[in-house]
Amino acid sequence: MNKNTFSVVVSTWLMLGSAVLMAADEGREPFNDRYCTTCHGTDGQGNEGVQAPRLAGMEDWYLQRQLENFRAGIRGTHPMDIEGIAMQPMAAKLSDESIADIVEWVGSWPYKPAEVTLEGDVQAGAQLYASCASCHGRDASGNEALGAPALRGQNDWYLVTQLKNFMAGYRGHHPDDTYGQQMRPMAQMLRDETGIINVVSYINSLVQR
Amino acid sequence: MAGFVTRREFLNLLGTTGGTAATLRAGAALGLLPGTAAAANLDLLNLAGNSRKVAILGGGISGLTVAYELGKRGYDCEILEASHRCGGRIFTVRHGDLIDEIGNRQYCDFDDEPHMYFNAGAARIPSTHRNLLAYCKELGVELEIFINENKTSLVQDDAMLGGKPIRNIDYTTNMRGFMAELMAKAMTADEMNSPFSEGEAETLLSMIRDFGDLNEDDLYKGSFRAGYAEGGFLKHGVQNDMIAFRDLLQTRLGRQLMGANEGDTGPILLQPKGGMDKIIQGFLRQVGDRVKYRAMVAGVQVRDNGVEIAYDQDGVRHTMQADYCFNCIPTHLMVGIDHNFPSDYVQAMKYVRRGEAYKAAFQAKTRFWEDMDIYGGISWMNNPSRQIWYPTDGIHKEKGVVLGAYDYGGGMYHTKMTQAERIEAHLSDGEKLHPDYRNLVEKPITIAWHRMNHMLGCSARWQRSFGRGWTHEEEELYHRLQQPVNGRHYFIGDQVSMHSAWQESAVMSAQWAMTDLDQRVRAETA
Repeated sequence: MNKNTFSVVVSTWLMLGSAVLMAADEGREPFNDRYCTTCHGTDGQGNEGVQAPRLAGMEDWYLQRQLENFRAGIRGTHPMDIEGIAMQPMAAKLSDESIADIVEWVGSWPYKPAEVTLEGDVQAGAQLYASCASCHGRDASGNEALGAPALRGQNDWYLVTQLKNFMAGYRGHHPDDTYGQQMRPMAQMLRDETGIINVVSYINSLVQR
Repeated sequence: MAGFVTRREFLNLLGTTGGTAATLRAGAALGLLPGTAAAANLDLLNLAGNSRKVAILGGGISGLTVAYELGKRGYDCEILEASHRCGGRIFTVRHGDLIDEIGNRQYCDFDDEPHMYFNAGAARIPSTHRNLLAYCKELGVELEIFINENKTSLVQDDAMLGGKPIRNIDYTTNMRGFMAELMAKAMTADEMNSPFSEGEAETLLSMIRDFGDLNEDDLYKGSFRAGYAEGGFLKHGVQNDMIAFRDLLQTRLGRQLMGANEGDTGPILLQPKGGMDKIIQGFLRQVGDRVKYRAMVAGVQVRDNGVEIAYDQDGVRHTMQADYCFNCIPTHLMVGIDHNFPSDYVQAMKYVRRGEAYKAAFQAKTRFWEDMDIYGGISWMNNPSRQIWYPTDGIHKEKGVVLGAYDYGGGMYHTKMTQAERIEAHLSDGEKLHPDYRNLVEKPITIAWHRMNHMLGCSARWQRSFGRGWTHEEEELYHRLQQPVNGRHYFIGDQVSMHSAWQESAVMSAQWAMTDLDQRVRAETA
C-alpha cells in the first residue's frame, strides 16, 4: 500500500466514523454537519444562485477563523450584512469537532478558479491593488502570517459584496473581529463601487496569468 | 338588442375563425360541453422492450410523477434524492421525524398517533386540481374534506375592538350587511340611469338584500346569521349585537376573511387522510425501488446522445449515463452544481427567486378549540404568526396538532430568529386568540423553508413585482426554462409553472415535459 492509498482509506474511515458519532439515538434519522455543499455548490465551488462563495481552495486557517467568527456572532450579525446573516445561524451550532471535520473536508476539494462575471477597468484596478498587495500578496495568493486570505480564484461577485460590506462597516464592525477591523479602512481606499469593481477585475486577471 | 350575440351565435363565430379546437375550448369555458376527462390521461408511447435510461434528479412530486409514468411505458428510471426522504415540500411531520433545517435541526416529539401529524408544506388540494386528484385515485390515496374557512373560528387585531377576538361569522355577517347597504343605496339612486332593465335591477337588488340580510328599508340592522347571543333552540333566539362598520374597518384582515372561499382556496378542498405525504407514499409504492437516497447530484453534462450525471453517495462520487434527465432540483441550487447548460438557460435559472414561506406547529394537550364550537379551519391574527389552523383530523380525540404560524408571503421575520425566539413569538401571538394558549400547547416545531437542507427555499418566485403580473422578459425566461436542453434535459417541478406552490403545477410540469419528450421519441422511432 503506498502512502496516497493509505491516506484515502484513512480519510474515508474518518468520515464514516464522524457520521456514526453524530447519528441520533432511538433509531432516529442520522445526520452529520457536512451540509455545506447545499449552499456552496458542488465541491464547494460557490453558488451565485444563493450568493454562497467558493470554499474550494480556501486556506484551512482562514476557513476555520471565519467559521469560528460566524459561530461566535463576530461575523454575520450586522443587520445589513444580508449574506452574512444567512450564514451565521448555519454555523451557530457547530462544535469544534464539526468545524475541524468541515475544514478537512473542504481541503479535499480541488482548487478551481471561479467563473469571471465582471468587466471592470483592469489597469485602474492594478493601481488600486498596490495597497492590497502588502497583505494579500502581489499575486493575491494570501499571507497566513498576516491573516490575509487568498483573493484570486474567489467568486468575483462575492469579493464585491464583501468589499462593499467592509466599506459600509457591515463587516468588521464587531470589536472582536480583529482582522475585519483592519480591513475596514483598507476598503475605504477603493472610494466607491467603481473602484471595487476595478480592483476585483484586476484580481480576476491574476488567475489568468 | 343590437350588437349582442347569443351564446350559440358566439360559438359559431369562433368556430369559423378559430376552428374546432377553439369552439371546444370556448364551449368548455361557457359550460356547454364537458371539459377534458378528469383523469390524467397521458398518451405516451410504450417503449416495449426498447429500454431507455432516465435519470430523475430530485424525489419531489414532479420527479415521482415522471418515474411512475415513464416506468409504466418501459423506461428505466432512477431517482437521485439528496436528502433522507422523498417529497420535497410535500412534507408531513410526525413523531420522531427529522426536520433538517440547516443550523436548526429538530426532531418532532408529537405523540405517536395517526392523527398527530403536521403538513409542513403542501396542505390543501383544490377540487379543480384534477391531475393530482387523478393520481390520488390511481394510487389508492384515501382523501377527506379539508376544512379551510370556519365561521366559528376567530379574528383578532389589536386595532379592532380593543384587541378582543371576534368570531369570523361576526365579522363577515356584519361586513356583508354594511357592504350590501352601500350597494343597495347606490342601486336605488342610480337605477334610472343604470344599464339594467327594471326586472334585472329588481333581481340584483334582491340579491344585494339577501347578501347582506338587509331589512325592508334596505338597511342593515344586524342578523341572526351570526348566531344567537342566547336561546335559539327551546326559546326564541336573541340576536347578537351589531358591530359598528367603523370598528370592522380598523382591521385589514377583511381581505383574507372575505376572500377565504375564493380562488385556489375555495370549496371544496381536500387532503389525504393521515397526512399529505400519503400521496408520496402512494407513488413510492410503485417506484420506491428506483430511489437512491442521500445521493447528492454533483454534475449534469448534457451530451449529443444523452446526459451524464455525477452524484455523491456515502462519500463516493458516482457517475450515471442516461438517455434523458428530468430535473426538479431548485434552480437556485442547480446554479452551484457543475453543468454545461447554455447561457440563456442559466440566465433563466438565475432569475428565479426562492420563496420564503414559514410554518410552525404545536401539539395541543387538549382540543380546546372544540370547546369553543370550532372544528377545523383557520383563525386570523394581525400579527406576524398570522394564522392558527385547527386540525380537520381527529375530532373529539384527546389531542391534536395546531398550526401556530403560517407566513406565506414573507417568512424571513421568523426565519431569522433562533428556535427559542420563534416559539416565544408564536406563543405570545397565539395568546391574543386563546388567552391560555401558552399552557395548552407543547412540543413546538418550526419549518423555515428558506433554510431547509437540499431545498433552501419555498416555491419559486418568477415575478419581481408581485401583483403587477408577468413582464415580457419574465415570460420569455420562463418559456426558455421550460424547453429542454438538446431534447435531453428537462427542468420540472412547480418552479417551471406560472402557478408555483401547488402540487398540481408540479405534476403538470412533469406531464408537459414527458409529452414533449414523447413527441421526440415518436419522431425518432417513426
